[in-house]
Amino acid sequence: MKTHVKAAGLLIAAMTAVTALLGGCGANESADGKTVVEIVQYKPEAVKAFEALEEKFNATHDDIELKIDSPNDAMTILKTRFIREDYPDIIGIGGDINYSNFLDSDMLMDISDYAGLADIKESYLRNAKELEFVPMDGTYAVPYMANAAGVLYNKDIFDEHGWTIPTTLDEFYALCEDIQAAGIQPLYFGFKDTWTCLAPWNAICIDLAPSDICAQVNAGTAKFADAYRPVAEVTKSLLQYAQPDPYAYSYNDACTAFARGESAMYVIGSYAVPQIKSVNPDMNIDSFVFPASNDADANILNSGNDLQWSVMAGKEDKKEAIYEVLDFLYEDENIQTYLDDQSAVPCKTGDFELPSMLDGMKSYIENDKMADYQDHHYPSEMAVDAMIQTFLMDDSDNDLDTFLEKFDTEWVRYNRDLIAKVQKFYEENPDKLTEGGNE
Amino acid sequence: MKSKGAQERKRTFLLISIPVIALFFCFNTLPLIKGFIYSFTNFKGYGSYEWVGLRNYIDLFQDARVGKSYLFTFKYAIVGTILTNIISLVLALGLNSKIRCKSALRGIYFIPNVLGGLVIGYIFSFIFTYVLPTVAQNLGIEALSSSMLSSTGKAWIAIVIVGCWQAIAMNTIIYISGLQTVPEDVYEAGSLDGVTGWKKFRYLTMPLIIPFFSTNMVLSMKNFLMVFDQIMALTKGGPSQSTESISYLIYNNGMSGGQFGFQSANAFLFFVVIVAVSVFQMTVTNKKEEQL
Amino acid sequence: MSQVRDKERYNWPITILLFIGCLTIFFPLYMAVVIAFKQPSEMTNDIAGALSLPAQWSLSNFQEAMRVTDFWNSLGNSLLITVSTVVLAVVIHGIAGYAIGRSMKNSKFYSFAFLYIVSGMFVPFAILMMPLVKQTAQMGIANHFGVIVLYTVFYMPLNLMLYKGYLANIPIALEEAARVDGASTWRTYWSILFPIMKPMHATVAVLTAMSTWNDVMTPLVIMSGTGKNTLPLAQLNFQTQFGTNYNLAFASYLLALIPILLFYIICQKQILNGVVNGAVK
Repeated sequence: MKTHVKAAGLLIAAMTAVTALLGGCGANESADGKTVVEIVQYKPEAVKAFEALEEKFNATHDDIELKIDSPNDAMTILKTRFIREDYPDIIGIGGDINYSNFLDSDMLMDISDYAGLADIKESYLRNAKELEFVPMDGTYAVPYMANAAGVLYNKDIFDEHGWTIPTTLDEFYALCEDIQAAGIQPLYFGFKDTWTCLAPWNAICIDLAPSDICAQVNAGTAKFADAYRPVAEVTKSLLQYAQPDPYAYSYNDACTAFARGESAMYVIGSYAVPQIKSVNPDMNIDSFVFPASNDADANILNSGNDLQWSVMAGKEDKKEAIYEVLDFLYEDENIQTYLDDQSAVPCKTGDFELPSMLDGMKSYIENDKMADYQDHHYPSEMAVDAMIQTFLMDDSDNDLDTFLEKFDTEWVRYNRDLIAKVQKFYEENPDKLTEGGNE
Repeated sequence: MKSKGAQERKRTFLLISIPVIALFFCFNTLPLIKGFIYSFTNFKGYGSYEWVGLRNYIDLFQDARVGKSYLFTFKYAIVGTILTNIISLVLALGLNSKIRCKSALRGIYFIPNVLGGLVIGYIFSFIFTYVLPTVAQNLGIEALSSSMLSSTGKAWIAIVIVGCWQAIAMNTIIYISGLQTVPEDVYEAGSLDGVTGWKKFRYLTMPLIIPFFSTNMVLSMKNFLMVFDQIMALTKGGPSQSTESISYLIYNNGMSGGQFGFQSANAFLFFVVIVAVSVFQMTVTNKKEEQL
Repeated sequence: MSQVRDKERYNWPITILLFIGCLTIFFPLYMAVVIAFKQPSEMTNDIAGALSLPAQWSLSNFQEAMRVTDFWNSLGNSLLITVSTVVLAVVIHGIAGYAIGRSMKNSKFYSFAFLYIVSGMFVPFAILMMPLVKQTAQMGIANHFGVIVLYTVFYMPLNLMLYKGYLANIPIALEEAARVDGASTWRTYWSILFPIMKPMHATVAVLTAMSTWNDVMTPLVIMSGTGKNTLPLAQLNFQTQFGTNYNLAFASYLLALIPILLFYIICQKQILNGVVNGAVK
């Protein structure tokens, strides 16, 4: 009988041994005297550009080893790494609610002493600043690349028919009528992917609603029901120029359709261009700012921080090396490497060659007439995109009221802790109320 | 001699079971308990958090979205389980009868299970969006002439179809292995008595494969209740949040969003609900088993 | 003799029906293959374009897919994890099913243990995910090994249930005969029951292998940051919110399908041999 006990024991012992053995060979860096700086950035589509930059950096630096990781589903990976307390040195994420949350959880380092900040365009620094739940002292993000959203159009179709770029909402509607009359589909939407509902929404929001509306609501000084009413109306009015049943088609389908000339225009951001070009590499695309207002001067370009760098808290001892890496990333020719690969707008001032499909937006970029995407302030679990989709699909008479009412109640429901925190902050610092949300 | 043998048997069983249970506790129960603890916080998944008492549980019962997701998930799971079990039992009987190319056919019918749920979802998404509406338009079927996935009333049916398409494979295999435990002489004896067709199935086959039937019902119900991949690939919860399953909501708002604490509460409630449903199912089928 | 009789009694209507039914399986697969061979520029939004064969049968998508996914390395990792999990599942779950299944009738402890483990099947992975990430990291097994251990635990409820159900149909008389011959329980299991349970081993192996092979979530959260990929993880590279290369993705799905399909074909024979009938008689 003893042999059986031994056998069973052996099995367990073997398992434990294997555990110990495999557990032992974790991923520890071999220290050859170099300071390792690790970046995790969330844009996997830019992996080629970053691989090139990483190689270039390591070839020219003896004392620092740069590692850039561009994983898919980077947010899940970052969050799991945070749980493990395995922090990278620099994270490259978008200027959105995730940044606000990380900052709010005290995970980022104040980098206001980074010299490179002086070269960053004011509006992008402002975008980052506005993402702070409560105004903070210091700077926690260096914007790197921005994207721009508006209307992409098929230049060949436009040239052929002699159509011109609209600058007011009425002109835009008139243009859509003309396109329809010519037997062409004016707009194509991929609303099956709910996030694409936010593309027209955002573009219209910045023309018609205050840019700090979310902060105002959190502070208790405004309601979405008033601010978003015209936005929702204009968004829904676009449906009459869209293909039938836009909820059946995904983002990919819409890109494909636009690339094949099935529609003359596509309300989306510059980030769609690589996908469109993969279907039709020779396509002649240009863009214009969505004219949601009938006052041409009130129209603003929708441009948000697509990629910005933040340094994780607790990396003070590596600060010099980290800043050196940032300096490298901001060298003009390295920014150009990125621009050539992705269609983006650099956040650094300087003379860069912008992608040609942004020609129509250039004057806005140069004049700094831009504002951030409003959805960067929406908590993702609130699913505003799905709410907009529901609203667009709602055929009843009181659709608008239902939607707006839901927006306000859901906002309170999902931001309860945040609103309490913000209001407590302003109670304690009443002087900050004016400068807080309003820049 | 007998008692010594029995003792030895007992001891061996204990030596086998204890480490297995310990392993299971360590990687299943322990994290479950930790998750349960998080359900009393407003933890986002990282950073600092506060205790909020029972707030998450109270919210659960007031949250319209959570309620809707339970309704959708149960509707989906009940229809899916029934369809899957009927089709796979019929399929298993067919595949177990005297047919040509038996092994090839079995191989083919199992393929859906070899593909991952996401992959299947992407392929079907393509079919539902382009192929089906065009075919329906040509045939003049009004109801299907627009994509099923874009209709709040029909999207769930599309998900049921894909869910069944994949689940049938696994259930069929379990039924086949069940049918193989039915000894050939039972049938031989039956056919001497002139028992054929439905009667043969009802009185000879059914009683013997009841344990497999019970396994399949519980498993497919549980798998359908936990539906995630198909939702992810086909609708992402849309259109207008009509196909948000519980698992999808938990993952999406808990991991991707910042509601980890609240969704932990949801997940815990969901766990309790699934266990209750399964225990109920097992009690029912066990009773049947005894009757037969 | 019985073979001759069997041949005469082929059930043709059922055979034909089953062949027709195969179309429901093949049509989606046809779509996958066609998409895998096409170029992005051939993807159109209409039916004729969707169903048509690719302009040319070029393997370039497959080559590119292999390059992007670092195919051989990812395949190696996937194989390592899947094979280890399957072996552990058959060995550990089989014997646990035996020990617990055989003792349940007379012991409250084992009945409870069985219910306890089986109820683990109903725990949503989402609630375990974060605690497990932390736990595996603390234990130093945030790697292949951790993933294998987790799979062994995750599939335990189902496999235990399957083994227990199967054992219920195997008469205890076999073991008692062996015991009278003086064999120990441990040895009886390995020499008599383990071989008899072969069809169930095949089922368990197939099911465990499929789930392991296709799983994304567990390796994604446990192994992230180790620089090691499994095939489904590498395939995520094709899927981004702002663009999907379906052609490459489908090519790589087909590539990932081949090993698991081979495995199934091998195991399937084992199920078909119908070892059970002989043993029960």
